[in-house]
Amino acid sequence: MAEAGKVAKQPQSRTFQCKNLHDYLKTLPGSTLDKLYNHPTTCLAVYRELPEIGRHYVIRILFVEQPVPQAVVASWLAQEHSKEHTEVIKVLSELRVWQEAAIPGGLPGWILNPIFKKNCRMALLGGGKANCIHSQLDADSKPRDIPFLDQYATERWECVLHYMVGSQQQEGISADAVRLLLHARLMKRDEDDGSPVITREGFQFLLMDTAQQVWHFILQYLDTVHEHNLDLVECLTFLFQLSFSTLGKDYTTQGMSEAMLKFLQHLREFGLVYQRKRKGGRFYPTRLALNIAAGRTSAPGDMEHLGYIVVETNYRVYAYTDSNLQVALVALFCEMMYRFPNLSVGILTRDSVRQALRSGITAEQMINFLRLHAHPRMIAQAPPVLPPTVVDQIKLWENERDRFNFSEGVLYSQFLSQQDFQVLRDHAQEKGVLIWQNERTRTMVVTKGGHDDVKRFWKRYNRGND
Amino acid sequence: MAAMADEVETSLLVIVVDLHTRQRYLRDQPSLLMHVLDSVITLANMHLMLKTKNKVAIVGCNASNSEFLFCDADAIQPQPGQSGQSTAVRQSDGQYEIFAHLETTVKQNIKDFMQDEQSTFFEDKDCESLIAGALTLALCYINRINKEKSAGENLNSRLLILTGCAGGASQHMAYMNVFFTAQKQNIVMDVCSLEYELGLLQQGCDITGGLFLKIPQLQGLLQYLLWVFLPEPPIRKKLVLPPPARVDYRAACFCHRTLIDIGFVCSICLSIFCKFSPICTTCNTVFKPPGSLLPKKKKKQIKNVC
Repeated sequence: MAEAGKVAKQPQSRTFQCKNLHDYLKTLPGSTLDKLYNHPTTCLAVYRELPEIGRHYVIRILFVEQPVPQAVVASWLAQEHSKEHTEVIKVLSELRVWQEAAIPGGLPGWILNPIFKKNCRMALLGGGKANCIHSQLDADSKPRDIPFLDQYATERWECVLHYMVGSQQQEGISADAVRLLLHARLMKRDEDDGSPVITREGFQFLLMDTAQQVWHFILQYLDTVHEHNLDLVECLTFLFQLSFSTLGKDYTTQGMSEAMLKFLQHLREFGLVYQRKRKGGRFYPTRLALNIAAGRTSAPGDMEHLGYIVVETNYRVYAYTDSNLQVALVALFCEMMYRFPNLSVGILTRDSVRQALRSGITAEQMINFLRLHAHPRMIAQAPPVLPPTVVDQIKLWENERDRFNFSEGVLYSQFLSQQDFQVLRDHAQEKGVLIWQNERTRTMVVTKGGHDDVKRFWKRYNRGND
Repeated sequence: MAAMADEVETSLLVIVVDLHTRQRYLRDQPSLLMHVLDSVITLANMHLMLKTKNKVAIVGCNASNSEFLFCDADAIQPQPGQSGQSTAVRQSDGQYEIFAHLETTVKQNIKDFMQDEQSTFFEDKDCESLIAGALTLALCYINRINKEKSAGENLNSRLLILTGCAGGASQHMAYMNVFFTAQKQNIVMDVCSLEYELGLLQQGCDITGGLFLKIPQLQGLLQYLLWVFLPEPPIRKKLVLPPPARVDYRAACFCHRTLIDIGFVCSICLSIFCKFSPICTTCNTVFKPPGSLLPKKKKKQIKNVC
């Protein structure tokens, strides 16, 4: 009997995850978290990301000074939801929102992280010191209104996306931004001429909604803050301050450190803040910066232009837009047919969808994209927003490519007798590690995990026979 | 990428606060009003804190008037051009801007509301608070917000009433209309009573699926509000909350405002009376006196026997 090597390798799944705030904060060391909690805005942001039950737990003990017995906390939730309870406890402990503390009498209890508690209360009830960006500022001689800021933010952000799809319509993206795109592996250097080209992650990135894109981008940026000699805590704190600021209001840059001013310039480049003059001493946060941490939970249609895509049951996709970028996005997975001044028409075909799938975009992403940008008329008819036939077909086209299930295993073959084969096969089957067997050719495949056991059994069996 | 939720959940909480100065706790100790208001403001802010999309409105009412103390029109909206105003609301401490704004707005509006001369005129007489009126205002407001929302958005609205008044019988009809409208619109109505067991409002809570709580002591008001009334109805199912009390479903008669088990009902407008009256006081329908029915029947029976 001989053992062949690995039969097949598990293909690496390449869909990329956009971490939410919770996942990100978990990766930070505890001391950094404590430093972050020194600012009321961070506490608010973290609070909003907690699971809903957890938010109520925090509120219930926010005004309690002593530790609360764990048994009491457990009794707050009905018995049948105890799983949810353990989940919440895990999250709250991971984020150091609360800590274990003994109550007089020896019972284990929970107490809120004192720094978190103090600043959460401050955010809610007031007190403490104001953020430096809130200090007095003379009235702006040319105040900017919300539509202007929206337009500015969209323009800046689309500039980045434009650069990615290579439609090169607008220049004006800095070397830093390009470096960041490369770092985030959304683009890579072309092997021939070294110019940046979009990667499969980049394609997936394009199909996310703006809020998610911004958050992903910021996460990547935070990875590189050390290169710019910026302090991670300072940057995060400033971001959270921005995310809880008011749209259409100006804030002062006075009292900001040199490093933060530099950070502000970077944010300005991506359209998160608006500044008329670099040295103007004031800035306006834009919609991109608001609720930055909410990511997935923020409302669609807030920042986006109104939806522009109509999908018909005959697989035709109409995009009511004159933006090259938006047409380019639709063209990622549609075969474009006509282009009019304000309307482009495409059709979803098996080939076009498969091509998109090959470049790493998933069916789920395409469907989400269509749904996210659906024309108001389509939404008005909802549910369902998209024709179910089209949605199902896109999923089927994806499944078509997954006809193979790869599982790693070890091949056993060249058994000397039929009986040997049967004994070993039955043993493997009993253990539940058999993947495939053929009695005629006396071959079988065992999972990698079960290989050792089957091998040992085979040696024992052979010795017994001898 | 995880599947994204299609709808955006927004929840709107409308708080109706009874500001009648004849409430017993206010007569005994007027300073308690600040305590109650602070609790209400904190509750409103906590609701806003729960989710980014949450909305809040506060309605105040007394014997003569009900008015919005805070609604979406009051939300922060800087007006370019009026440059003086934008500098006025600079933050001076660590409080979140929106929370601070709500607090100052509500306090200012309450001050105006209480100082309104018209309202003090009625206070001297024994009038009830116009809670039903305030509720109607709140329902109209919810209806408007519901119509204004963008497609694909989901709005969950609920009402919370805070009162230390006793009665409510004089507004029986108005209350019933409010309860059933709320039920039809899927609006949950909660009542936090500061002093009395309110039969009528308990019915309302029961009809709309809300909670009724008479708080044992006023000092801990905020904790009661946060524990019981802050969680949204879907979450309440998971939490262990005080069980609903048995609701007294007896109706108050329209003539003397007493609770009755058996009475007379107008066949046209369904008004209830404890004693027979020949003309319905609500819709002016004329009835035959019930006494005349009885002898007629008897006569017929006798004829049949013969």
